[in-house]
Amino acid sequence: MLLEINDLDITYGDNTPTVENVKLSLNEGEILTIVGESGSGKTTVIRSILGLLSGDGHVSKGTLNFKGRDLKALSLKEWRELRGKDISMIFQDSGNMLNPVQTIGHQFREYIQLHSDMSDSEADAKAVEILKRMHLPNAENILSSYAFELSGGMRQRVGIAMAITFHPQLLLADEPTSALDVTTQAQIVKELMQVVKESGTAMIMVTHNLGVASYMSDKLMVMAGGRVLEYGNAKDILTNPQSNYTKTLLASVPTIGGKRYV
Amino acid sequence: MSEQNNTNDCLMSIEHITKEFKLSDGNILRACNDICIDIPKGRTTAIVGESGCGKSTLVKTIMGIHEPTSGRVMFHGKDITKLSNKEKRQNYRHIQMVFQDPATAFNPKMKVKDLICEPLRSFGIISKGEVEERAKELLRQVDLPVEFVNRYPHSMSGGQRQRVAIARALALEPEVIVCDEATSALDVSVQDSIIKLLVKLQQEKGITYIFICHDLALVSLFSHKVVVMQKGSVMEQLDGDKLAESTHPYTRDLLNAVFSVH
Repeated sequence: MLLEINDLDITYGDNTPTVENVKLSLNEGEILTIVGESGSGKTTVIRSILGLLSGDGHVSKGTLNFKGRDLKALSLKEWRELRGKDISMIFQDSGNMLNPVQTIGHQFREYIQLHSDMSDSEADAKAVEILKRMHLPNAENILSSYAFELSGGMRQRVGIAMAITFHPQLLLADEPTSALDVTTQAQIVKELMQVVKESGTAMIMVTHNLGVASYMSDKLMVMAGGRVLEYGNAKDILTNPQSNYTKTLLASVPTIGGKRYV
Repeated sequence: MSEQNNTNDCLMSIEHITKEFKLSDGNILRACNDICIDIPKGRTTAIVGESGCGKSTLVKTIMGIHEPTSGRVMFHGKDITKLSNKEKRQNYRHIQMVFQDPATAFNPKMKVKDLICEPLRSFGIISKGEVEERAKELLRQVDLPVEFVNRYPHSMSGGQRQRVAIARALALEPEVIVCDEATSALDVSVQDSIIKLLVKLQQEKGITYIFICHDLALVSLFSHKVVVMQKGSVMEQLDGDKLAESTHPYTRDLLNAVFSVH
């Protein structure tokens, strides 16, 4: 088992827990998708895996085990080695995680050298290789560009490229395609799927697009109001939802050729 | 059924609109290229296409935010792109707008009642004493609890804020409401409820919508007319219920990019 979470409660400040009783497990190469509306706690769950809860959020109960290691007991130094290498993350808009006044190449090189002892030229060659894997043409040009010079789709490909640089065992993705157009979304979803399958990376993705979830996932978790309503095999849940909320959610997904309102 | 009779009337006609921007390197970017669209009265016209296809530029031209390079927009017998400032102000009583993210469209220091009634106050239609009563009435129309009048935008969910934005757009009883990606930032179940609300209001009041969107599955459910744009030009115009049968290659690409749940 790659990742195992049991009875997880997450609390912000001294209030009652925001997220309660989350249980999940993930094998190598498996893809789990967490769906639910905003405020349901899905982002909180994946942030807790990386030890990056915002503000005064903390794990108030339960266990998080990654490859048999207790994530709650890690020192800062151990976290630094883990984050970005064994576990990495893709955000909704990778443009926001990039420094606007440094070139992409500068940041990519800095990131590679933080986790390895490559020389500048080796790091650059590695960056080019990974950008090419994400179907980015003119990878050298991209390295000398600034984040604002790239389109949303290109920025997202850069974000994904950085996240997979060190073949992480676990990739966390927070709405990785929600900010994109349908056509760009379709390309990126397929590319992301291909790279995780090739490298055997397990992934936990947060999305509210049930179509994308259905295409990618082995497992599915449905959350609402900080609680897990359903968790299990993705196909089973999508074809035979148990909770009323999941049924409403599925009924809300617009489909081409579906029932028209007018 | 009186609206049914009006449905073929053209309320606004966009005639040969071209908009060019001068780029910093001296080149010219043609964001809209000879666009002709008739907007039917009391109906929903969806404008779809990828980012950068010119749909927002077109809307900004309709809204008078910038002048077209050539062409005109006829509304009630007048070219609304060439109005004096005074005429413009009066004209835009009839055309209101709902934006993608109401969190950024609202002044965070204003209460809901003042936000909703600001257009009415600005045109001197109601007095300060009438604000609360009118705001409650408008909140009822968008199915929000009347107690919300004293809330601030930040203490509401995204879906609730979007309902407030719709209430505000309704305040002046406009003929046209332009929705620029009005549901793109919302979760599917919330999106579904907002679309149902818009459809209900259209049936009650005969409002004409211009709905900018990149989700083809969504627009196929409630629009009467769909305009597909690519790179500044109109590729295809067709009836909303015929979208799935389109044979145009670009429309097909967009349709195929939608992930379905099953």
